[in-house]
Amino acid sequence: MLRITGGTVYDPANGIDGEVKDLYIADGRFSSKFEAGRTIDATGMVIMPGGVDVHTHVAGGSINFARAMTPEDHRRTHAFIRSKTRRSGIGGMAPTTFATGYLYAGMGWTTVNEAAVPVLSARHTHEELRDIPIVDKSSLVLMANNEIILDLLEEGEDERAKHILAWHIWAAKSYGVKAVNPGGVASWKYGNDAKHLTSKIDGYDHVTPGTIITKFAKMIDELGIPHPLHLHCNNLGAPGNVETTLETMRHLEGSRAHFAHLQYHAYGGDDWGNMRSEAAQLAEYFNAHPNMTTDAGAVLFGDTVTITADGPWQHLLYKLTGRKWGNLDVENETGCGIVPYTYRPSNLVNAIQWAVGLELLLLINDPWRVFLSTDHPNGACFWRYPEIIQLLMCADYRNECMANLPPNIKNKISLPEINREYTLYEIATITSAGPSRALGLSHKGDLGIGKDADFVIYHRDHDIARMFGHPRYVFKGGEIVIEEGDIRETPDGREYLVQPSYDPEIDKFLRPLFEDRYCMSFENYPVEMERIERSQIQDCITPESEG
Amino acid sequence: MGGKVTCTLGEVKQRADFIVYWGGNPAECHPRHFTKYTLMQKSKFLPRGRKDRTVVLVDIRETKSAKAADHFLQVRPGKDFELLTIMRAMIKGQDVPEAQVAETGISIEVLRDLIEKMKKAKYGVMFFGMGLSMTRGKHMNAAALLTFAAEMNAFTKFVAMPMRGHGNVTGADVIMRWQTGYPFGISLNRGYPRYNPGEFSTVDVLVRGDTDCAFIIGADPGATMPKPAIDHLAKVPTIVLDPHVTHTSRLSRVHITTAPAGIAAPGTGYRMDEVPMPLKPALNSPYPSDEEVVRRIKEVIATKPDWMTNQPQMIESQV
Amino acid sequence: MELKVIENATCTFCGCVCDDIELHADDMRIHQAKKACILGKSWFLNHTAEKKYPDALIDGQPASLDDAIEVAANYLYDADMPLVYGMSNTTCEAQKECVAMADLLGALLDSHTSL
Repeated sequence: MLRITGGTVYDPANGIDGEVKDLYIADGRFSSKFEAGRTIDATGMVIMPGGVDVHTHVAGGSINFARAMTPEDHRRTHAFIRSKTRRSGIGGMAPTTFATGYLYAGMGWTTVNEAAVPVLSARHTHEELRDIPIVDKSSLVLMANNEIILDLLEEGEDERAKHILAWHIWAAKSYGVKAVNPGGVASWKYGNDAKHLTSKIDGYDHVTPGTIITKFAKMIDELGIPHPLHLHCNNLGAPGNVETTLETMRHLEGSRAHFAHLQYHAYGGDDWGNMRSEAAQLAEYFNAHPNMTTDAGAVLFGDTVTITADGPWQHLLYKLTGRKWGNLDVENETGCGIVPYTYRPSNLVNAIQWAVGLELLLLINDPWRVFLSTDHPNGACFWRYPEIIQLLMCADYRNECMANLPPNIKNKISLPEINREYTLYEIATITSAGPSRALGLSHKGDLGIGKDADFVIYHRDHDIARMFGHPRYVFKGGEIVIEEGDIRETPDGREYLVQPSYDPEIDKFLRPLFEDRYCMSFENYPVEMERIERSQIQDCITPESEG
Repeated sequence: MGGKVTCTLGEVKQRADFIVYWGGNPAECHPRHFTKYTLMQKSKFLPRGRKDRTVVLVDIRETKSAKAADHFLQVRPGKDFELLTIMRAMIKGQDVPEAQVAETGISIEVLRDLIEKMKKAKYGVMFFGMGLSMTRGKHMNAAALLTFAAEMNAFTKFVAMPMRGHGNVTGADVIMRWQTGYPFGISLNRGYPRYNPGEFSTVDVLVRGDTDCAFIIGADPGATMPKPAIDHLAKVPTIVLDPHVTHTSRLSRVHITTAPAGIAAPGTGYRMDEVPMPLKPALNSPYPSDEEVVRRIKEVIATKPDWMTNQPQMIESQV
Repeated sequence: MELKVIENATCTFCGCVCDDIELHADDMRIHQAKKACILGKSWFLNHTAEKKYPDALIDGQPASLDDAIEVAANYLYDADMPLVYGMSNTTCEAQKECVAMADLLGALLDSHTSL
């Protein structure tokens, strides 16, 4: 048993905003009483629930492809030295699995959601997730370009499509569904894209990106998946794409939806020269529609490597930058693209992107619906989150940074007019309580009795980035994992799954279609349950549980 | 790696209407590649199967695989890099001197015709084998081919893939990447991974005599490596794990017999396109699995005092 | 004797890693490897569950597994610059153990790819 005394607690899930309060921990959870055991005096310190990353890329084929493409970064960046009980690792743009766990836990994050898994490489993803120590994990399976499902939607066989969707979620042992550039990735297989909701998709006459999005959101709601449709909109990164994003949001009225890395979808103008921020317009619509959540996908200046299932966008980025290009098309399902990238403050487009991420975080007024993310490693590496927290909490610091932007950015962004500063309570919401709720992980991001004792104790510090980058203690499941920057323990995390129900007869329907498209055996395709270390199946939402 | 534009094998099966094999002999080395993954399969997009596909073989000699191809290009030995570079120039419409083209063994007319066909393809794929990546130019040849495939995307969809041999060598690559950041040629002697092929790759290490103990698993370097490398293996304590007593076992201090992977030992193996496959052993071996033996050796080592102490947890920068 | 049938077995002989092989086996050997190619067939049929070799050899002499593990661990621990090499004809699970052991040893680590 453990007792934490005297700390100032920020626990948005319970409406606790900076109260001095003792916490008791027993068997990995918060407890109402304390009988005996260690007491930690946290007087003068800040206590928050452990961070939860709703959208990151840390395990599986695409990040591992990025690792292969960036040895020049591995050999200059931070390196973790092995000890008798701890594996070595490399940090940087695409950290190794062990380093990923150390770096997340090192800044107080205790749960991460891997946001893009092709079913075909789900077995690989789970192997990597198992090698990420300390944090708990979940993963989302890529489905919105699955040709078998698109064929069924084309034929109006929506009910059958839903069963097949549920079958795939369980086959991949995933936690929910990610849709990336719906229809666009399918078109990319022949070198094309689908930029708008009414675009023609290669090989289809009726189905459009708009139909895919609405039908997927509906199917996911009907299946009761705890996390809603996790959507990477069409037309990512392009000037003027705010129209596509708003149109997508209008399509999803009445459904639950999570918009991934909204920063990349909030641009006005019609070419790179006149591109501008449309974060204000997007935030206004978003604020009025409580069915949606989003993560920022914020950008920080510096080197990174971009990885996404959005193959056509990556081909464009390769053409724009002339840097290395990796692409992987995955049969029937999806694909991915990799391009190393450097965001420069002197580059007008990059400067706008930097501002847009912050604008969205500052202009969306409900911290329960907008979450901290960089779409790691796309906008910046996750281990730079403390820098973003500083930008959100200190308007003066923001203004200082803005002084480095090109002068012609004037009138293209609204950041200079925003004075809002985040409070610690709001930071605890966007980094932990909010994403936990959006993921449907009710035992996370909450310091209440019976909840998982994943929490962080910070020294108060006027240097916000230092405060969040160097916690005094990090607790995972009630155990001290980080103390003053030292890694104390590296326990294995859990993996969360869902098991939506589907008609068991769907196997018979699916098998011949599968054998036609794939080149592995149908029986060998689903990931075996015994391969998932410390799995925990979360309940789906039933009409009763909602009522 | 400078980048790679690739796909899983099912994409080739479904979509590839233009298939190039460069420096490989699948008919004899990967016998089911044609039938299961590439040439012979019919699909929604290629309903007539083989008839809907164009197949090109590039090699220094006319192997059995040439029979399966529509076009065979006999490149002069050692001229792959030149041929690839010339083709990269030609797709962009740049002038190439005919004399230099002739040196590759292929005429400019044949190349012009080939490039025209490639640009007309809907989905092209280039497979490359050890005839490209293990001959003069080595990884430079592979890089030239990968770049060629990437550049073809200015005209149509094109991808490339190495024809990996040797069972689960792909799995080793994939795992070393996620655990150390690097695919091979790694040193952990400073307590964290460093990468330098040429310095840390095995042949170089052995020929220089830079190791004083070798642990060999799932390979038989005693049968395949240059003599100075083998001599060094015989000189230092060498440990071999293998289902058979191999050439390397015979020059080793310790050989441990293990159950053959996939036949009597369960687990996972990666296909050449990095798709993981479950292994389903049919036999119960009287020998333990590699996994078990390595774990046990590791556990014995872990009981001994750590020679690397007082190290920082992390270094901020390696340079 | 009744043969046990393994459906959709995976062949790791070459990089194709075909996973549609039908194996017919008794306790001792695989008698049939349907759908396998000529290389795959000989791969499956040439391995048996017989005890063809000693458990281990130390300096060429038959030895017990326990002794061989002890001796191997001592050699590796005592070395200044041990090398862990190969990892082609083995499982991912064994490969992971190899990388973990190399990490613990501070060893050189390399596969067939470097050839």
